Amino acid sequence: MEFLSDTVILSRLQFAVTAIFHMLWPILTTGMAIYLIVIEGLWLKTRNENYYYHARFWSKLYVLNFGIGVASGLPMEFEFGTNWGPFSQAVGDFFGSVLGFEASMAFALEAGFLGIMLFGWERVPPIMHYFATIMVAVGANLSIFWILSANSWLQTPAGGQFVDGHFVVGDYFQAIFNPFMLNSVLHMFFATLETSLFVIGGISAWYIINQRHAEFFTLSFKIVLAIAIAVTPLQLYIGHLSGEQVYHYQPTKLAAMEAQWETIPAGESPSWSAIAIPNDKAEQNDWEISIPGLLSYILEIKPRLSEPVLGLKEYAPEDRPHQIGLVYYAFRIMIAIGFILAGLMAVTTLQWLRGKLSAKNITQQRWLLRLWLLAAPLGYIAVECGWIVRCVGRQPWIVYGEIRTADGVSQVPASNVLTSLTAFTVVYSILFVFALYFGSRIIRQGPNLDLPVPGESFDPELDTTSAKHIPDSRPAEAQQ
Amino acid sequence: MEALDYFLPQVWFAVLALFLFLYVMLDGFDLGVGILSITASSEERRGILMTSLGNVWDANETWLVLMGGALFGAFPLAYGTILQALYIPIMIMIFGLIFRAVAFEFREHANTKVFWNVAFGGGSFLAAIGQGFALGAILQGISVDSAGHFTGGTWDWLTLRSLLVALTLIQGYVLIGSTYLILKTEGELQTTHNLTAKISAVTTFIGAVYLTITTPIFSESARTRLFETPLVYIFALIPLLGALLIFLLLKSLYSEQETRPFVWTLLLFLLSFIGLGLVVFPYIIPTQITIYQAAASPSSLVFMIVFIGFLIPIMLAYNIYNYIVFKGKVINEEY
Repeated sequence: MEFLSDTVILSRLQFAVTAIFHMLWPILTTGMAIYLIVIEGLWLKTRNENYYYHARFWSKLYVLNFGIGVASGLPMEFEFGTNWGPFSQAVGDFFGSVLGFEASMAFALEAGFLGIMLFGWERVPPIMHYFATIMVAVGANLSIFWILSANSWLQTPAGGQFVDGHFVVGDYFQAIFNPFMLNSVLHMFFATLETSLFVIGGISAWYIINQRHAEFFTLSFKIVLAIAIAVTPLQLYIGHLSGEQVYHYQPTKLAAMEAQWETIPAGESPSWSAIAIPNDKAEQNDWEISIPGLLSYILEIKPRLSEPVLGLKEYAPEDRPHQIGLVYYAFRIMIAIGFILAGLMAVTTLQWLRGKLSAKNITQQRWLLRLWLLAAPLGYIAVECGWIVRCVGRQPWIVYGEIRTADGVSQVPASNVLTSLTAFTVVYSILFVFALYFGSRIIRQGPNLDLPVPGESFDPELDTTSAKHIPDSRPAEAQQ
Repeated sequence: MEALDYFLPQVWFAVLALFLFLYVMLDGFDLGVGILSITASSEERRGILMTSLGNVWDANETWLVLMGGALFGAFPLAYGTILQALYIPIMIMIFGLIFRAVAFEFREHANTKVFWNVAFGGGSFLAAIGQGFALGAILQGISVDSAGHFTGGTWDWLTLRSLLVALTLIQGYVLIGSTYLILKTEGELQTTHNLTAKISAVTTFIGAVYLTITTPIFSESARTRLFETPLVYIFALIPLLGALLIFLLLKSLYSEQETRPFVWTLLLFLLSFIGLGLVVFPYIIPTQITIYQAAASPSSLVFMIVFIGFLIPIMLAYNIYNYIVFKGKVINEEY
């Protein structure tokens, strides 16, 4: 257990644990925020109160996720200082200001309007409430923009130069819009949206299977399906573009993703490794099943490579990543899930076109609905795998080609990091279990279809004068 | 250019001070109410306490995130060094904030609320004491080499003096939390918190007096700077104003006013804040690294001030709007 006294490894592990856990929650809130805009817009347009009840129901899951997202996001920001002090000092001019923009432009906006979105139904006019919902979604998704811009800069640093180990920004525009940035932002934007769609779809499918409010949830099922028709194929394409960028900008990561030890010269039509057992010590794959001729199609959609694929052996062991198996399999799991979700979307759309999803027929589609239920967690797994590829594959660099991870770490005693790492692991495990428990509880309770609809029925007993603050949703719902 | 090298860090010092003040004021009452919830005599009361924060707690915490981001971007050297030096108090604060944040939703859905009551009250207390130790440690100074890198030990932050700062800060949070509850509640609950406000006003006062008297003695740099003219006049004025505000605060509490106690407390916070700012300035890592040494390059500071400076009024506007929408008393139907 040598790593227990190694500050670098422990700090990396801690960052991984906190990032992997934090990510789980904003994935759903950023994606679902867009769905909430759609559903509330439909309510305002049609005044069909079912849409209103949908908005109320899903925002309960929203706020559960949001709370844990905020709680687990805070440590991420502070960890840059506590555990990655030298890194922060070297690149703070740019990296820190981007985090500042995220806080002021994105997080502040989301948090500032969330109170109104959740509790303000009776307190502001519907159009003002809609504005609040939109601002929450804009804030959440701007977070993706800034965080992915910052992370992309770590992958492809641009817009300035390192002077005595300190990054001096020359051109902010170039630094923010660094080579990886646009694709990464889009890839993450569609990842959160796709994951949320399949979570909403999976939960809706569960209700339909169990014949609870089946008609009500067919509504949400069809809305997410309609959005998924556009999103799932687009995400596959953007994923491909991201891969192509890795091919050009980060040869060591590409080699790790493909467990490719030897260099393949340009002009060849190499096979694609589907399953392998990479062996870092022997610098080869001990065992492998590969598909002939596929790699150049995956990388460039062409029969032959236009550039060489550099093998891991081209680099000295200290200049390349070492958890090859992790990167290799994380990448394959992510792609597999991307195709599974797109396939599920295609099959379901086919059934829709055949009229099998009408209110009368949909409860017959048990196998299809069960697949949706099973697909609900897949998006999360794909996103986590994608980030493992992105950040483990970037090693040994914290800023690709410029600063090594080992040089970016704060020299705090290993025992401190071990203690905080243990605490994070224990606390986060407990929170994860409780979040699942309370989340499933909200789902089992189901929507509350007795809530007063704002601007319609005026219940004389409901006191909404502005002098009294009745916590609108809470007590009314606690009694059901 | 020379003038710019001085001016920009000063602007950012002011912006940071603004964010920190907004945070201490807003999350101050937030954490204060959380600490007070430990003493709540019934579930209904605790429910009202938490409802009074339901729509604002996340917005209040925004200012901490902002302060962190601004410190990171504007003074990267200080960010890396201070947080590394304060590893343990910062982690205490983080875990406290995690517990209390999840308690809002989890308690709402739980049948057995005890566990989440403890998480909320205890988390608020942990967050406050972590912040108090961090503040205390910064005020007493962090040992660094000439390049600004941390050279001290893991437990440097833990001294009798930082403990005193932490305890005083907790008293202050309880005070502002109590006056917030006077504003937001009525009936018996209001009476209870009128009492807690009186008690914490006295304990805060004692802590503040002790710290004010001992600060110039403890820190040499503070002593030399603060006893020079013209700063000495301002510095002499602060304790006098503080005593006056405490008097006004107690008077408003005894005459059972609703809004004034909160206002006087806010002014007390502002005053202490100005006092602390005067003690610390121009250092960002007392007592060795100044804001000029720790600042990011001028181009970064300009770029950030354009972006964030433009957003400050907008952020303030929608936060104020949020408070206006939810103004008035919190009442619970069962209560």
